Amino acid sequence: MPLHCRPTRNRREFLTDAFCGFGTLALTSMMFEEQLRAASGNPLAPKAPHFAPKAKAVIFVFMAGGPSHLETFDPKPLLNQLHGQKRPKEFGEAKYQFVTNEAKILGTKRTFKKYGQSGIEVSDLLPQIGSVIDDIAVLRSCHGDMVVHSAAQYQLFSGRILPGFPSMGSWILYGLGAETNSLPSYAVLPDPDGALEAGQPMYMHGFLPAVYQPTMFRAGAKPILNLDLPANVKLEDRRQTIDLIRNLNQAAIQGSDSEFEARINAYDLAFRMQTEAPEAFDISKEPKETLDLYGVGKEPTDDYARRCLLARRMVERGVRFACVVSGGGPGGLQWDAHEDIEENHIRMAAQTDQPVAGLLKDLKRRGMLDSTLVLWGGEFGRSPEAQGGKGRDHHNLGFTMWMAGGGIKGGQVVGATDAIGLHAVDNPIHFRDVHTTILNQLGLNQDALSYMHLGRKERLTEVQGQVIRSIV
Amino acid sequence: MNSRVLLATALAAVLIWAAETGPGEKYTAVERRHWAFQPVTKPELPVFTLAAEKVWAKHPIDAFVLAKLKKEGLKPSPAADRSTWLRRVTLDLTGLPPAPEQLAAFVNDSSPTAHEKVVDRLLASPSYGERWAQHWLDVVRFGESDGFEYDTHRSDAFRYRDYVAASLQQDKPYDKFITEQLAGDEIDPNNHELRIASGFQRLGSLRKNAGNQEVASSRNEVLTEMTNIVGAAFLGVTLGCARCHDHKFDPIRHKDYYRMQAFFAPVHDSNVVVATDEEKAAWESQKKVVEDEIKDLRRQMKGLKGEERERMQQLVRNAEERMPAPPPSLYSVQNDFDKVTPVHVLSRGDYQNKGERVGMRALGVFLPDGAPELPADTKTPRLELARWVANPSNPLTARVMANRIWQHHFGRGIVPTSNDFGRMGGRPSHPQLLDWLADSFVANGWRMKPLHRMIVLSNTYRQASRSPMETAAMGKDPDNAWLWRHSRRRMDAEQLRDSMLAISGQLNLKAGGPSVIVPVDGELVNLLYKPSQWAVTKDASEHNRRSLYLMHKRNLRVPMMEAFDAPDFQTSCARREESTHAPQALELLNGALANRLAQSLAARLDRETKTPAAQVDRAYRLAAGREPTAKEKQLGIDFLRKQSLREFSLAIMNLNAFLYIN
Repeated sequence: MPLHCRPTRNRREFLTDAFCGFGTLALTSMMFEEQLRAASGNPLAPKAPHFAPKAKAVIFVFMAGGPSHLETFDPKPLLNQLHGQKRPKEFGEAKYQFVTNEAKILGTKRTFKKYGQSGIEVSDLLPQIGSVIDDIAVLRSCHGDMVVHSAAQYQLFSGRILPGFPSMGSWILYGLGAETNSLPSYAVLPDPDGALEAGQPMYMHGFLPAVYQPTMFRAGAKPILNLDLPANVKLEDRRQTIDLIRNLNQAAIQGSDSEFEARINAYDLAFRMQTEAPEAFDISKEPKETLDLYGVGKEPTDDYARRCLLARRMVERGVRFACVVSGGGPGGLQWDAHEDIEENHIRMAAQTDQPVAGLLKDLKRRGMLDSTLVLWGGEFGRSPEAQGGKGRDHHNLGFTMWMAGGGIKGGQVVGATDAIGLHAVDNPIHFRDVHTTILNQLGLNQDALSYMHLGRKERLTEVQGQVIRSIV
Repeated sequence: MNSRVLLATALAAVLIWAAETGPGEKYTAVERRHWAFQPVTKPELPVFTLAAEKVWAKHPIDAFVLAKLKKEGLKPSPAADRSTWLRRVTLDLTGLPPAPEQLAAFVNDSSPTAHEKVVDRLLASPSYGERWAQHWLDVVRFGESDGFEYDTHRSDAFRYRDYVAASLQQDKPYDKFITEQLAGDEIDPNNHELRIASGFQRLGSLRKNAGNQEVASSRNEVLTEMTNIVGAAFLGVTLGCARCHDHKFDPIRHKDYYRMQAFFAPVHDSNVVVATDEEKAAWESQKKVVEDEIKDLRRQMKGLKGEERERMQQLVRNAEERMPAPPPSLYSVQNDFDKVTPVHVLSRGDYQNKGERVGMRALGVFLPDGAPELPADTKTPRLELARWVANPSNPLTARVMANRIWQHHFGRGIVPTSNDFGRMGGRPSHPQLLDWLADSFVANGWRMKPLHRMIVLSNTYRQASRSPMETAAMGKDPDNAWLWRHSRRRMDAEQLRDSMLAISGQLNLKAGGPSVIVPVDGELVNLLYKPSQWAVTKDASEHNRRSLYLMHKRNLRVPMMEAFDAPDFQTSCARREESTHAPQALELLNGALANRLAQSLAARLDRETKTPAAQVDRAYRLAAGREPTAKEKQLGIDFLRKQSLREFSLAIMNLNAFLYIN
């Protein structure tokens, strides 16, 4: 029976809803946790997971626009043999956004090499990621339901093909609370080149309270909106104003009043963010060796390297979920290689290969990789057929994502696509399985992490997902 | 064959049938018995013997509430003081704070009808329609852009917003309001107001994409949106749950869901151009200039590669930006009986997984078993649907609306889940009161203003938000479901922004018309797929209009509104959350609007008062609707000795006394 529509009674129970159906014992202790949380007046106070977690935080290196599995992690020698021919019938049907049934198979110019102890093959586009492949579990049989960007991006983030549902970052924050008081716990670091098709609703909290919303980082040295004082105001003066607010608010409290106290706390927190967060954003004090590891200070890696390093610094300070987006603006500036797979992917890979590998290495040497799950991938892969001669179209029926850290067993490949990379044929992994696995590593149960909305018990996974057992 | 064998055979047949078809099409007595599906009753009023109780329970609303309080061993709180009541009722009915002059006039009005006069003034003010329109727009997930990738603006959708505000303002009967939205175009296709109203069908987000079109799945999504919103908005049932399977908890069969959807099978988008012939011609000719230019560019582009091609594409994009806005039209729908989408029962809601084809019929649990579908050639399908939804005998419609009104006055509905009156929704705390309200609502010709008037003039509504027996009462009823006091609430995003504008003297009360795009942080605009869509309204005085008139763009919400729990226009919002978090404080401390308006409030205080004491006094009257206490006054005066009036004004807009409604 679908578990998305279990009974509840009223709004006050909304937080305890998260734990229904999870055993009375668990329920009781969760409700106790909740009461503690309510008593502290901070809805973001840390909350115990449903079971012992392996990971505390997630960094999603989001390769937006749909990186080709065929040019990265899923070598298909047959493609070069079939180059220029129509897809053989035995591979079955596919629906694309642009290319038609007349399209011809496109061979790949990439070469693949075995890396690490595991000997997993990675293309020459991503040699640095190849060098850390033993920490990575490559999921070669991912699939989603939609072949257009916006709907596929919604599904990747929220499990639904429609906007309006909470993203995984919001769900995780809702489930676990925050471990930092001075930084926003769910951060999206967009590509300064511009927007993605699904727009901001993809990252949003949907119907969850606004406290679980993401903070959209801005390009440049001052990433958080409203964190800086207006130009004509001095910090000492503003401190006095905040003191006045507190004194006047306290003067108006009669007896104990947890809600008013929570609002007074929110001002203290805001002031702390204002004074402490800039330190977290300042990567200039990182040793040169670390900057070099990520590729800060040189092109074409500088921008993505800075953002990956920022993500590490935030996770270090207790941030739960950071999404570092590669790709933004018109298709050519994303991994959306309709026109020329070579030109596009060589460029996009060069921007991200070293920063992503640097991130994994840096997390590992700091002992943070065990508790930080890194997810790599896009909203779909790309078609075995050519679009316009040199490009590849969107393709959602079989493509690659990968995970590392946070208790994920690296150095292995899960699942497989068919011989031309069209369909996920072995051990297919849907987005819902990716979500379930991430929640599992964080100690969260997909059914218990739920919220009553319009009469339905909503959760991240609309249809029950499966934990990818071989990698946890 | 003897009768025992016959009986056994029949029983076996029934069992096999039941096993094969699940619960089948019939609805059992148990399913039909759910409280919300019973006819609205006219409950008897509780009787009181004690004189004090008789006085308090003078109105039926108070009688029902008091009876319940007594039963639970609770007592009502004393009446709030006059200034608290005035601020509460003014913000509830108009979304704006009372002016200090109104406060003084009311506090000094000793006539026995002082309260009535206030309520009548508020209900007659245009601000009432503007305030309550937002509540309805939340429910129908009103947005002014398509959402998804292109998020194309619906430059004419504002007419629906104005229609809602005007309908509420003129106290249009709710049954008429429903009928116009469901079937305005069927009633009179030439009536502009009705055409605008039936734009209701098109309010949901809409997926469009380049390349191969998924016509069938997109159409399925559109019909799903049209169907589900009827359940959420009018009926208070979670119809959407029956899209994939029989409803797990409520008696709505999978098949009945699609019979509801069948009412919308002929509905298609329709934009009724209302421009004059000259306007149309002018637009056509301007459009042609740009189109020709683009055609020319495309011709030149042929064969070009690399950077040159990219440069030409940029020129094309530039030209596209110059495309003139289409002449005004009405964002509406109409039936096209040549293009009726065949409606099938879809297994798991999958449009490719078609089962039996079905026709139009209202929800079966409200009909006799085996009730026929409407004839396929019914000429006004949605008018038929509206007749059923807006019928006084429909047990849900009046209850659901009466409950919404109650919810917005008390912070909690009698049924706490105001979009879900099903078996998994909350039970009514005061079922008889709900019936009494629903019955009076219909008896008063489905008019909302008399309902508001009764509610806000009741002793229940007049209670203070603090009770002398608070500790004991909190132990028994922490949610205040039994209404032993008035529930304090934080202003919602619109009340907050509008109040900031009002107290700083900046509020522009211009009503209606195209929506306003206010400046927001440039980096956020850059996150739009087409940043040029966020074309800030040139006339800066427009930026100070009420929040109702802010552009409701799905892919970019004004950060301040978002931080204070404004909904996202994607799904129906029955009730706003009230969260408390640091970004709210950052918004009100460092946000551009707060700082700009602090400056204006400071200028106003400087202009209207002479001394620091008077400034503190005036600020409290404006923002909190009351005088400051001695302690507050002293703190304010001490601050003003060292710090600026602007910083003091900013503090005022951050106070709980301002942000909360007691």
